[in-house]
Amino acid sequence: MSATGEQQTKHNAPCSNQDFDFFYSGLEGQQLLAQKCGGCGKLRNPPSPMCGDCGSLDWAAVKLSGKGSIYSYMVHYHPPLPGFDTPHPVVLVELEEGIRMLGGLRPEQRDAVAIGKAVDIEYIRRNDVALFQFALTGEAR
Amino acid sequence: MSDLGGKTAIAGIGATEFSKNSGRSELQLAVEAVSAALADAGIEPREVDGLVTFTMDNNIEVEVARGIGAGDLAFFSRPHYGGGGGSGGVLHAALAVAAGVSDVCVVYRAMNERSQYRFGQPMGGALPPTSEYTGLTYHGLHGVTTAAAYIALGMRRYMHETGATELDFANLAVNSRGFAATNPAAFFYGKPITVEDHLASRMIADPFRLLDCCQESDGAVAVVVVSAERAKSLKQKPAIIRAASQSAPAGQMNLTSYYRDNIAPYDEVAFSARQLYAMARMTPADISMANIYDHFAPTILPSLEGLGFCARGEAKDFIKGGTIGIDGRLPLNTNGGQVGEAYIHGMNGIAEAVRQIRGTAVNQVKDVANIIVTSGSAVPTSGLILGAA
Repeated sequence: MSATGEQQTKHNAPCSNQDFDFFYSGLEGQQLLAQKCGGCGKLRNPPSPMCGDCGSLDWAAVKLSGKGSIYSYMVHYHPPLPGFDTPHPVVLVELEEGIRMLGGLRPEQRDAVAIGKAVDIEYIRRNDVALFQFALTGEAR
Repeated sequence: MSDLGGKTAIAGIGATEFSKNSGRSELQLAVEAVSAALADAGIEPREVDGLVTFTMDNNIEVEVARGIGAGDLAFFSRPHYGGGGGSGGVLHAALAVAAGVSDVCVVYRAMNERSQYRFGQPMGGALPPTSEYTGLTYHGLHGVTTAAAYIALGMRRYMHETGATELDFANLAVNSRGFAATNPAAFFYGKPITVEDHLASRMIADPFRLLDCCQESDGAVAVVVVSAERAKSLKQKPAIIRAASQSAPAGQMNLTSYYRDNIAPYDEVAFSARQLYAMARMTPADISMANIYDHFAPTILPSLEGLGFCARGEAKDFIKGGTIGIDGRLPLNTNGGQVGEAYIHGMNGIAEAVRQIRGTAVNQVKDVANIIVTSGSAVPTSGLILGAA
């Protein structure tokens, strides 16, 4: 993949464009991707067309482990959230690769959420959009 | 640092009533508030040659101008980023006036944000894939779609790092609702709350409870900016614009600053403070009181730290013991803030600062010299220091 936009853009995520298509397309294949700068090798998230460190427009999408630990979280209670049952937990995860990634938390684990806990990724579909959520590891499933 | 500080002043303020159902158009609210501000200043509408509002405001400048009978408009400008923009609008007006582009520039915000549409609802639907909405959707697909939810993530981390609890959050809400209770213009006039009321209020976006959240309001506020020299000869005691900032520090994102070292709504406020103190040639010791933006009252804690009134992590202790009460070291949000008076994107906090400098506030603080005013945090923000002449 490259910044020239030759990658597959087959996904159903709304409100995407050439900067984000690689990410949602990756999820269709159950791959969590991030951009690795072709100039300086730095990983970046969220997607951006240019590396803020070295200015390079070259990048490649690399697969992330999906494993990490909870850096922060919130639980949405109100108002009703179309497409979700509430209360709905969301976690900000510090991934093993050293970048952060936001995602939902497996809803059944809401009461066990805490900063510092280990999580792993689960690939899901929501309203026919390929997505992911995190699940606490070492907790009852 | 620029020498903008001290060259301009707020010479007039105006507002409508604050309600949940104004019963009239947003444009009518706008022209009522702008006209009231001009009358307050003693300036004829025909003299208005500059108008500034927010990108989110629905009232186009030329219709406001037509309504009030303005003169030829030579300057119009709109800061973006919702409530982050309020003080920034005053900066734009001050720049225009100091540069001689505009002589009388009015900053306004008017909205039927409760009766006509609702803020704080999940963002979604058919959004165009612009750089603004692709970024919000990237997070929104996981269920982070309200301002409360976006900011809750930063504040949960803040609690983890500082030991602040929801009891500390309650103290802030109680302080603001106490000031609102004695402010007849406040929607929650006569309705103070207790810590127990706060802790019993329903969860909105954990860790935010209902009584942490600002209101949804109908209403309008306008302020008139002229040169400090001109202000001397007008009706009211001027509120000199000692400093004004727009502030998006490196790494700042629009509600989603989850990827920088400190994800609390702190960096943007701290940057604004550095700009303001430098422009005004002041330190926190020179500040008599503060009107700090409270979309969610708990964010006042990192704001107090960013503004330099206490060290990182110490705001929860700083606010105890009457520090932020009317006779304290730093009276805070004396109009009742946006949780108590009204949510007019922070413009009502600017108007309150002007009243305090004039000595006409209902919750008047003694011996006010300089006031710091902030705008929305967790988004690109802005700020002001207003002072007596």
